[in-house]
Amino acid sequence: MAVRAQFENSNEVGVFSCLTNAYAIVAVGASENFYSVFESELQDVIPICHATIAGTRIVGRLIVGNRKGLLVPTTTTDQELQHLRNTLPAEVKIQRIEERLSALGNVICCNDHVAIVHPDLERETEEIIADVLGVEVFRQTVADNVLTGSYMALSNQGGIVHPKTSIRDQDELSSLLQVPLVAGSVNRGSPVVGAGMVVNDWLAITGLDTTATELSVVESVFRLGEMAPGGGGGAGVNKDSIVESFY
Amino acid sequence: MVDTTQMEELLKRPLYVYDLPPELLASLTAKTTSQPIAEQDPEPSSKDLELAAQDSAIATSNLCSLCRVSYNSVQEQRSHVRSDHHRYNIKAQLRGNAPLEEIEFAKAIGELDESISGSESSETEEEDSEGATGTALSALLKKQAKLSHPNEDPEMTETPITPKHPIFWLSSSGLPSNKSPRAIFSKEEQDEPAHLVDTLRRKQLAPIKARTNKASNVQEPAASGPHIFMCMIGGGHFAAMLVSLAPEIHRKQGGVEDRQARVIAHKTFHRYTTRRKQGGSQSASDASRGAAHSAGSSLRRYNEAALEKDIREVLSDWKEMIDTAELLFIRATGKTNRKTLFGQYDGQVLRQNDPRLRGFPFNTRRATQGELMRSFKELTRVKVSEVDEAALAAAEAKRREEESKPSTPIPKPQPQKPKLSKEEEAALLHTSQLQALIRRSKVPALMSYISNNSIPSSFTFTPADLPQNFRCPTPLHLAANLNAPAVVTALLTKAGTDPTAINNEGRTPFELTGDRATRDAFRIARHDLGESKWDWEAAKVPSAVSKAEAEGRAEKERKTAEEEEAARRKASLDRLKREEAEKAAQPRTTKSGGRTVGAVEKSAAERRDEETRGMTPEMKMRLERERRARAAEERFKRMQGQ
Repeated sequence: MAVRAQFENSNEVGVFSCLTNAYAIVAVGASENFYSVFESELQDVIPICHATIAGTRIVGRLIVGNRKGLLVPTTTTDQELQHLRNTLPAEVKIQRIEERLSALGNVICCNDHVAIVHPDLERETEEIIADVLGVEVFRQTVADNVLTGSYMALSNQGGIVHPKTSIRDQDELSSLLQVPLVAGSVNRGSPVVGAGMVVNDWLAITGLDTTATELSVVESVFRLGEMAPGGGGGAGVNKDSIVESFY
Repeated sequence: MVDTTQMEELLKRPLYVYDLPPELLASLTAKTTSQPIAEQDPEPSSKDLELAAQDSAIATSNLCSLCRVSYNSVQEQRSHVRSDHHRYNIKAQLRGNAPLEEIEFAKAIGELDESISGSESSETEEEDSEGATGTALSALLKKQAKLSHPNEDPEMTETPITPKHPIFWLSSSGLPSNKSPRAIFSKEEQDEPAHLVDTLRRKQLAPIKARTNKASNVQEPAASGPHIFMCMIGGGHFAAMLVSLAPEIHRKQGGVEDRQARVIAHKTFHRYTTRRKQGGSQSASDASRGAAHSAGSSLRRYNEAALEKDIREVLSDWKEMIDTAELLFIRATGKTNRKTLFGQYDGQVLRQNDPRLRGFPFNTRRATQGELMRSFKELTRVKVSEVDEAALAAAEAKRREEESKPSTPIPKPQPQKPKLSKEEEAALLHTSQLQALIRRSKVPALMSYISNNSIPSSFTFTPADLPQNFRCPTPLHLAANLNAPAVVTALLTKAGTDPTAINNEGRTPFELTGDRATRDAFRIARHDLGESKWDWEAAKVPSAVSKAEAEGRAEKERKTAEEEEAARRKASLDRLKREEAEKAAQPRTTKSGGRTVGAVEKSAAERRDEETRGMTPEMKMRLERERRARAAEERFKRMQGQ
C-alpha cells in the first residue's frame, strides 16, 4: 500500500518521519492529518513513536534504523533517548553514535540486511552500524552523491535511487544489495527520494505532490499492495490502483 | 664507512629500535648538546594503510566499473566493495582524481598520504587480515623511510639533544641523524648518554619467525619474551594492549621479509560517561555542584562505575604479564581516570610509584586500539632526518652570544599607552575634577578649584577623542548641556570662559542649553559683561537682559501662572457645587418616580459585601478589623454616656 501524506506544508515525508518493519518514528507537532495516515496503516501493528531528536523535528534525517536497531546522533539528549527506549519494542537496540557526520539519516541507507553508507564515515561508526543494525555495511555512492540516505529509499523488497543514476550503477548496486532497484523520483520530480518518502515491507508513504505514475513505480518496485507476489500484478490491477489513488 | 647505496637499501625497511640492522648499529654514535634540533620534517600524521586482500578473478559478467575489477559471485563483489582499493577509488572519484587500477594502487600505497578507511582506528581489523600481502606497519614505514634522502655530506659529527627532550639523537656515518624515542630507556640508562649506544645494542632482539600465517594468529597467553604494556583512558574510552617487543617476521610471496608488531593481548571499552553539551565527567560535576537527579546523570554514574570495574577486571586478568612487562605506557589524565588505575583497591595491579611507568611523549587521540598501535610505532621507530650542520652551528653561536650578554631588563614597550608628559597627566586630572564638580553644580568649589590650580579660561577637556568629550569639550559646554545656570553664570562672569568656543558638532555652549533658566543665564551674562567682551553674535546668544529684567519677567510669569491656577480652581469649585446641587435634586425625582430596576434598598450586610468585593483577603481583613474597632469605640462611648 502506498499512500500520500503531508507534514504541515512540506512534502518531504522522509524528513519528518522514519519507518521500519518494527516501529515508526514521527516528529512531534504536525497536524492530525499526518499522524492519522500513519495510524490508519500501522495502528496495532507496530508502535508509532512521537519524538524529537536534539530538539528538532527533522527526525527522519537524523536517525536511521531497521527492524533490529536504531541509531541516533550524538546530539540526542538523554531525555529523548529515554523516551525512545520506553516507546520502542525491547528487542530493538538503540545506540547513540559519536560521528562527525551527525545527520545519520542522510549518510546511511539500510534495510534489514545491508547498509549503504557515506564513504567518509568513521570506521568505528561502520562497526557500530554492523553490530546494532545487524547489516553488512558498504561504502558506496548513489549517482556520485555521497548522501546515500537522501538519494536512496530501500526496503527488503526493493529500492528507488536518484533518477539520474546510470543503468550500470543501478545494476552494480542492485547486485551488491541483492534487491531490485529502479531509478525514480517522488513528489512530482524530486530527486531526493530518501528524504521524500518512507518505506517498509508493506507500506510506503510519499509526499502529497507525488504523481500517480510515481506512486505506481513505488508500489511496483517495493511490491506493495496488489503488486505483491501472488496478488496478481496484472496491468488491470495496476490501472485500478492508479485510478483509485488518483481520486 | 658504510657504502651509501647499502645504506639506502637499509632505509627502505622500517627501522625498528629493537631490531636495527647490524651495519647501522655499528656506525651509530650518540651525541649530546643542550640545543634541540628544530624538526625539519614535520611528522606527517601517520595514516595507516592496508593492502587489499582480494584476488581478481578471471573476467565474468560482473565488473566494478570504477575499479575495473571483475568478480564471479556476490561474495566476491562484496569483499571487493569493502576493500581499500575500492574505497580509495570512491574517494578519488569524489575528489575528481582518476581512479587507480589494482596494480597501480598496490604500487601507490606506499606513497599515499591519506587514510582510506576514514578513521584513525583502521587497524582494528588487522588481526583478521593477517594474511594480507602487506601490513599497515610495513607500508607506513616504507613511506617514512622514503622521506629522508642520503645527505650530501656524509660525515655527521654532532647532533644534539636537550636534557629532557623526548628524542635521542644519534648519528651515523653515511646517514642523516637518527632519532630514537627516549622513553624506552630506563632512568639509569638515560643518565649515561655515553653508554646509550651500548644499551641500544644490548636491547636488540632476535625476531621471531612466524611459523605460518595461521600459526601467527594463535596468541600465546604467557609471553616469554620482553613485552610492554600500554593503556589509555579518556572520556569514557579505554584501550589497553600488551605488545611483544620482538617483531614477528612473515615471509611474503616474493621472499621479502616483513616485520610486524606482535600484540599479545588487547582490550578496548567504551562507556557513556561524559556529559553531553557541557563536557566533563559526571563525577566531577557531582563533586563541584552536587548530584543531579536527571536520567542522563544516573546513566553516567552507573557507566562510570561499570567502566572502572571493567578496567580493573582486565588489569587483574593481565596481572601476570603486566608485572613482567618492561615498561608501562599510560595515559590517564584527570582525577577520575587516575583513580581508576592507581586508586587503592584490593588486588591493585598498577602502582603510582612504579619505576617502569611512562607517559606518551606526544599527542594522542581518542583511546582506541588503532591509536595504541600508532603510539607503539611512534615509540619504537627510529626515524631518519637530515640535519643541516651549518644552521645548527649558527644557532648555537647565536645562543652563546645571547648568554654572554648581560641580562638587562628591557623596559616593556606599551604600544597602547604612550608615556604621558607631566602636563598631560595634570590635564587629565583637571578634566576629571572639573567634570565632577560641574555635574554636581558645586559652584564655589569649582571657582576655588579653577583659581587654585590657575586653570586657563580656554581649558578643554582631555583626551579630546573620548566620546563624552565630543559634545562637551569645554567646561561651559558641559554646564550648558547639563542645564546648570549657576555654573554657567559663574564660568562666564568669574572664570571668564569663552562662550564662542564650538564643540565638535560646531555648536556653541548656548546652543546646547535645554531650558530657559540656562538660556537666561547666558543673556544675563551678556548684559553683565557688556557687548564688547565677546562676540556674542558668534556665540549665538540672543539680546542681553539685565538680571532685574529677567527676574521681573520670571516674577510676572509666576504671577500670571498663579492667577490662571486660581481661576481654574474657582471654576472647578463652581462646577462641583453645581453638580452637588443637581445630585441633591436627583434622588427625590427618582423616588417620586417609583421603583426602578436596581434601586432596591440594600441591607447593611449587602452593602458591606459590595464594599469588600474585589479586595484582596488582607485588605478585607483590615477593613473588617477597622469596622470592629469603630463599633467597639461606639459601645464604649455609649457605656460612658449612660
